[in-house]
Amino acid sequence: MTQWTFENVVSRILKVGVILTISLILIGSAFIFIHDGANGYPLSKICDISGNTSDQLNSSSLAPSNIISGIAHLDGAYFITLGLWILVFTPISVVAVSLAEFIRKRNGRYIIMSSIVLFNLFFAMLVIAKYIK
Amino acid sequence: MPLLILLTALLKFISIIVAGIFAGLLGSLTGLGGGTVLVPVLTLFYGIPFIFAAGASLISTIATSAGSASAYVKEKIANIKIGVGLEVATTTGAIVGSITLAYINHVGLIWTVYVIFGAVLLGSLVPTIQRTAYEVPPLKKPDWTTRIFQLKGTYHDQRLKKDVDYIGIRWWLGEIIMFFAGFVSGLLGIGSGALKVVGMDWAMNLPLKVTTTTSNFMIGITAATSSSIYWFEGFIQPFIAAATAVGVIIGAYFGAKILVKITNRNIRWIFFWILLFLGIDMVLKGLYIGDIFTIISLFYQFFIAVGIATFALFGLIHYFSSKSKKRGETKT
Repeated sequence: MTQWTFENVVSRILKVGVILTISLILIGSAFIFIHDGANGYPLSKICDISGNTSDQLNSSSLAPSNIISGIAHLDGAYFITLGLWILVFTPISVVAVSLAEFIRKRNGRYIIMSSIVLFNLFFAMLVIAKYIK
Repeated sequence: MPLLILLTALLKFISIIVAGIFAGLLGSLTGLGGGTVLVPVLTLFYGIPFIFAAGASLISTIATSAGSASAYVKEKIANIKIGVGLEVATTTGAIVGSITLAYINHVGLIWTVYVIFGAVLLGSLVPTIQRTAYEVPPLKKPDWTTRIFQLKGTYHDQRLKKDVDYIGIRWWLGEIIMFFAGFVSGLLGIGSGALKVVGMDWAMNLPLKVTTTTSNFMIGITAATSSSIYWFEGFIQPFIAAATAVGVIIGAYFGAKILVKITNRNIRWIFFWILLFLGIDMVLKGLYIGDIFTIISLFYQFFIAVGIATFALFGLIHYFSSKSKKRGETKT
């Protein structure tokens, strides 16, 4: 039986996050090959990796809001997109769980510090990413 | 001929996976992490633009960090509390670092990042040579930060077969170093585990086991901060990122298995030579594409980097063997 200690929960989150990510990445890569491309780019262009960066398929054209429709169309790039965002949220959930643990233990200083870390993570994602465009 | 395109693409995908395996293997054997090897390999040998190499590297860094930290956290060797506390500085540094990279990319000065990368790679070799001999640091008096930031813990050491109690000191110095570790991570797309280890081992006097495992745990959080900025800036090419993530995870997994079996210390010099070469070649390539040092073409740079690395390696081996002779130590 697994004991739901703090360490076990963190360890489980990390493991599940990686397994999900790798599975989605493999499925996505398979679809890129099967569909001969992804997100409107032909396979021959996508694998031309040494070329110019601006006209190449890259993350700036893969909006997280399009993940659902992309996956519905079995677009490989969006499977990879979902996998990578799950990967980004894996450490974020660990910090969130740590915050919950510090609140449970009423550890004021660490409640503040883990909140700052969470703030930084979301600040980078929601504010800075849009601002520097 | 669609079949030919499919085969070339598949071959390219597999070749990037191989680069990932190599980087993951070497990264875990040297303790520097996959990204430090991956970025030079992708840019120097695959001709991949720096930003795509850094993007792919950052993604594999989160994946390997999460994969290995999962075990360390469960065994309670990594100290989550100290790690999260220090993340205040690393995540802030990561934001500044990735904004800097975005800026450098916009103004077209990407060659400087090659030079910085090479310099950081060569610099992080220093702690690799002077790898501390002791497992548990000499006991030091707790200072005011020990109490305020609750820098204490216990872990079970398997080799010493006992529970080790430890305390940390100089939290403020740790935070300062962590800011730079975060900055480097965001700027170069690597985990910068070497700097994190310096912060906890040298500044905060934590035991090496706690330091390396906590650093591993922290790397994922730092890299997650930069990743979202990288994502919206378009630094992540899914095809490259997918192949490297898979490769690095495979490499890191086998690296961890091999590491416990390596008894011959001299094999470390081979890894060391590869890293020296990659660092020197990165600096040379940066100077070349920055139009600073263009007399030698990229093709000959390869051989020059090989030459300098070999020369430096023999110098170091000579230096270390004479130093250990002077101390009258028996070589293991």
